[in-house]
Amino acid sequence: MENQVIEKEIEVNNLSFYYGDKLAVKNVTLDIEKNKITALIGPSGCGKTTLLRCFNRMHDLYKGNRYEGSIMFKDINILDKNVDMTNLRAEIGMVFQKPTPFPMSIFDNIAYGLRLRGIKNKTELQDRVENALKKAAIWNEVSDRLSTSAFGLSGGQQQRLSIARTLAPEPDVILFDEPTSALDPISTKKIEELMQELRGNITMLIVTHNMQQAARISDRTAFMYMGELIEEGPTDKMFTNPEKQMTEEYITGKFG
Amino acid sequence: MNYRFLRKIKGYIMLFLSALAAVIGVVLLFAILYKVIQTGMAGLNLALFTKDEAPAFMIGEGGMRHAFVGQIILTLVASVIGIPIGIFGGIYLSEYGSSSKLGRFISSLADVSISIPTIIIGTFIYSFLVKPLGGFNGWAGAVALAVILIPVIMRTTEESLKLIPWQLREAALALGTPYYKVIKDIILKSALTGIFTGVSLAIARVAGETAPLLFTSFNNKYLSANMSEPMPSLTVTIFQYAGSPYDNWIISAWASALVITVFILLTNIILKYIMKRRSF
Amino acid sequence: MKETSNFSFYKDKFFLAASLISALSILLIIIGIIVSLFIESFDAIKAFGFFNFIFSTSWDYNEEIFGAGRALLGSILTSFIAIIIAAPMGIGMAVFIVEMCPSFLKGFISTAIELLAAIPSIIYGMWGLFIFAPFLENTLQKWVSGALGDVPVIGSFFQINYAGGIGLLTSGIVLSIMIVPFIASIAREALSRVPRELKESGYGLGAEKWETIRDVSLPYTKTAIWGGIIIALGRALGETMAIAYIIGNMNISLTSVFDPYVTVTSVLVNEFNEASGLQMSSLFFLALLLFVLNFLTLIAAKVYISRSR
Repeated sequence: MENQVIEKEIEVNNLSFYYGDKLAVKNVTLDIEKNKITALIGPSGCGKTTLLRCFNRMHDLYKGNRYEGSIMFKDINILDKNVDMTNLRAEIGMVFQKPTPFPMSIFDNIAYGLRLRGIKNKTELQDRVENALKKAAIWNEVSDRLSTSAFGLSGGQQQRLSIARTLAPEPDVILFDEPTSALDPISTKKIEELMQELRGNITMLIVTHNMQQAARISDRTAFMYMGELIEEGPTDKMFTNPEKQMTEEYITGKFG
Repeated sequence: MNYRFLRKIKGYIMLFLSALAAVIGVVLLFAILYKVIQTGMAGLNLALFTKDEAPAFMIGEGGMRHAFVGQIILTLVASVIGIPIGIFGGIYLSEYGSSSKLGRFISSLADVSISIPTIIIGTFIYSFLVKPLGGFNGWAGAVALAVILIPVIMRTTEESLKLIPWQLREAALALGTPYYKVIKDIILKSALTGIFTGVSLAIARVAGETAPLLFTSFNNKYLSANMSEPMPSLTVTIFQYAGSPYDNWIISAWASALVITVFILLTNIILKYIMKRRSF
Repeated sequence: MKETSNFSFYKDKFFLAASLISALSILLIIIGIIVSLFIESFDAIKAFGFFNFIFSTSWDYNEEIFGAGRALLGSILTSFIAIIIAAPMGIGMAVFIVEMCPSFLKGFISTAIELLAAIPSIIYGMWGLFIFAPFLENTLQKWVSGALGDVPVIGSFFQINYAGGIGLLTSGIVLSIMIVPFIASIAREALSRVPRELKESGYGLGAEKWETIRDVSLPYTKTAIWGGIIIALGRALGETMAIAYIIGNMNISLTSVFDPYVTVTSVLVNEFNEASGLQMSSLFFLALLLFVLNFLTLIAAKVYISRSR
């Protein structure tokens, strides 16, 4: 790989992950650049979503899963047993495939994560909710109906609401798990623009099936196959002149 | 007559019999309702709700207020005991134990418990709360009803919670929410309609129960709110009145039967309508 | 990422503990039932012997000799009559609702049938006693005994020995009305899940509508429907208040299907509150036997359903 020095936000060292006995992520070593967008690509079942879900320890919800290796973030191995999940997830947020509005008002959806962190002051809550909705480019559409149910929004709006909710506690990192796969092209475009605006302030990792999307929005791309990291590098290089033949074959649509 | 024609005729006969079965079902419902309404209306008057039992020979003097009040108290106390246990148990089965052996075992056991004859529950509570305490009492009746409520509420809660997409739990957890808060603020709230209807249907069901009360709260001629004494209930009173030789008591039994049937059927119809319209 | 406040940690643990304890209440109830019924029936088991009690037809207050034979036979016979009527009817109702019913009637008919299950047992008892039993006496019973009553050998099974119309057959029929909605709703749900392509492949082979239902849809739903029937049988065994009114509760040796008889539940309702001593213990033994019978039936249904999956 190239020798360019990058500012690291997260450092993955020899990470392996097991679902029970099944090895799903094999010995991955990878640096995630700070305040940039890193795309994880690869065919279905290659382990890219599994890898993404290691960063906020989502796998801990289910029994029989096991990590090996380390993920260093702010000088702490977040795979360590003593790491408090609540605090970790405050700093590393996640946006899912389908929109996940909570059964409450638009305002409360955003305020929920803030209240969890002990923010009770009304004006502060209002300011930060407004701020998050503005950052997620949805403020103009919902400012007049903050107290109505979030279920009343369209799919694309619900997804931007989910992003706003993730942004509100001001995380350092956001994990996107195919955030546009359930959306129409116009909503997809809005989310992609939104991610571009957030670049520079937040480190983003996105799992995507859509190679054009990875090429359009990401700064760096990592290609995974059968649980292994095959190649990682700056996105333009990965898409024009990859080092590994397998990467080239995947990117040119020969398999996957 | 050819073979194909015979096949056709046979098919029509079977389909006709199927339709007939459905028609018989509907006719039976209305035949029973008609009888309950027709006979019950004759005894339906204000005194039924405002007066307590009078000796059978005092025609027109008595009512069943004591039984209505007793039934409401028993059902309320049973709900206060049964609803929290049922809902918390359902939370365990869906949110904590769904992948564990214990969770699955209890879920199956709860399923089987729903069909335990309610009279068996009456005998069981008798040996725990009547015999040792020296006599029939309201607490025993309420606990017997609660024992019937618990598995029903537990299973409907479990099923309602399991309908909530996993991703919603993950989204809440990914925000750094403690698990109990995920359940309390997000999951329970999303499943509220399902749980509410399940709980209400269960309560409507125990409100019509007679067998478990016979050996526990038994009956009482007087208005009583004392849970340590035998407590009157609508169903047991109906049972006694309907089996009595007195016409005016039998009429009162039908009138009360009308009230309880209308209550239960309306509850069922309304809740089924709500169920159909819920989002989860 | 330091440790969170202990407050939240304990709340989490408390929530789990409350849930677990509540779930375990089911275990407590089942164990409580088994233990209490066993302890209370111990005297009767000791006096009469376990198997002897089950098969003995004696129920004698003066001699204090009790047996479960008749009550068990009564429960089993009434339940079987109910199933024999309710199973084909329930399946027929489901076939009508899923395959034939015009859509504007669907909701009405399925709701009406479901509501049959919501009517309290005691209402069925009153209706059975005051309306349905006299009706049967003047119709079905009269016709059947008229037609078959004088036939040699089997004739005695169909003779009317007691007036009033109450008895074994009437109880079985009323029970069948009470359990038919359950079978119908299980069958309806199962039938509506038959994949459309499967049915179309039946029609594609030139099968008539009924033939497709019989050869494609019903075999596809066999497990669910049989499971439902077994569960319905369990319910019929434990049905109490309706039976208490219409079985007649006469402890006699059975000669005709129209005779009044006893079931476990009718004996319990009629004798429990006035019993003492060995009779009381025998009643608890009856309750225990009913519980075991019912429990085994339901577990059989569960095992059958889960095995066939």
